[in-house]
Amino acid sequence: MSLKTIRWGAGIAGVLGVGLALLFHWQVFFWVPTEASMGIVQRIFYVHVPAAWVGFFAFFIVALCSAVYLWLGEERLDIAAVSAAEGGILFTTIVLISGPLWAKLAWGTWWTWEPRLTLTLLLWFIYVGYFLVRSSSENERTGRRLAAVVGIVGALNIPLIHMSVLWFRSLHPQPVVLRTDGPSLHPDMLVTLMTALASFTLVFLAIFLVRYGAERLERELRAHDSARESGKGVPV
Amino acid sequence: MTRVVASGLALFVFMLLVGGATEAVAQTAPGASAASMRHFWHVFAAYAVAWLLILGWLFSVARRIGRLERRLDR
Repeated sequence: MSLKTIRWGAGIAGVLGVGLALLFHWQVFFWVPTEASMGIVQRIFYVHVPAAWVGFFAFFIVALCSAVYLWLGEERLDIAAVSAAEGGILFTTIVLISGPLWAKLAWGTWWTWEPRLTLTLLLWFIYVGYFLVRSSSENERTGRRLAAVVGIVGALNIPLIHMSVLWFRSLHPQPVVLRTDGPSLHPDMLVTLMTALASFTLVFLAIFLVRYGAERLERELRAHDSARESGKGVPV
Repeated sequence: MTRVVASGLALFVFMLLVGGATEAVAQTAPGASAASMRHFWHVFAAYAVAWLLILGWLFSVARRIGRLERRLDR
């Protein structure tokens, strides 16, 4: 993918993402019905759940690119993995902040060590570890390969997070969309959730693409500089 | 670079508008009380934190591009 294509892709995703963000905020605050038992605080749902999905999507990209990077050694895959990992940590942080803000009013506590919350916090720490592993190795290439392993292992936690509310006794609500008998949400709530999900996904893809392009250009410049300093000519 | 920063600022203003909209909904709801205002602050904080974090990531990427542009200019 050329840098020009990346720029166009990021631009289109960004404009669509912000446009959908405007729409979903209008839906959240003026259109969607208020949930009967929790009231207005249930509207945190429309930022909490899409952020979780986008976080998982980002970590899936990390795992996929890391696995293929370990196999083929293609540097662009490592760049994609590290760019997605940044976004994954960001969206998981949103989940870990918006969740307690909701829980305090719905459950009466900011935090409880129940399976889904604990596993999500663990996921966040694993991907913080991903960056620590990258930077801790003296050999840059070794650091990248070790981080790729962490990136793959970390993603194994995602199905556990999803299934934890079904397998264990949990304070966290059970899935309302990904159910075998179909979504149990009010249709307007489902439409709002899908708009929010599309918006967050497009905003993530836009910034991810720009971040990927910048990292790629930076590494190309570094390779260019080191080739010039060693007098071996410039790789094109 | 400038366009990216401008987009970020637009997002921030948009986020503030969301806060206003939430307040409007909370105040016009039937039986609005201190408890419903507390709910409003939690909703506002959740949305504000989400957009501030996204904005922070956008700014960090914009700064990286700015550094690259200066390096290319040299």
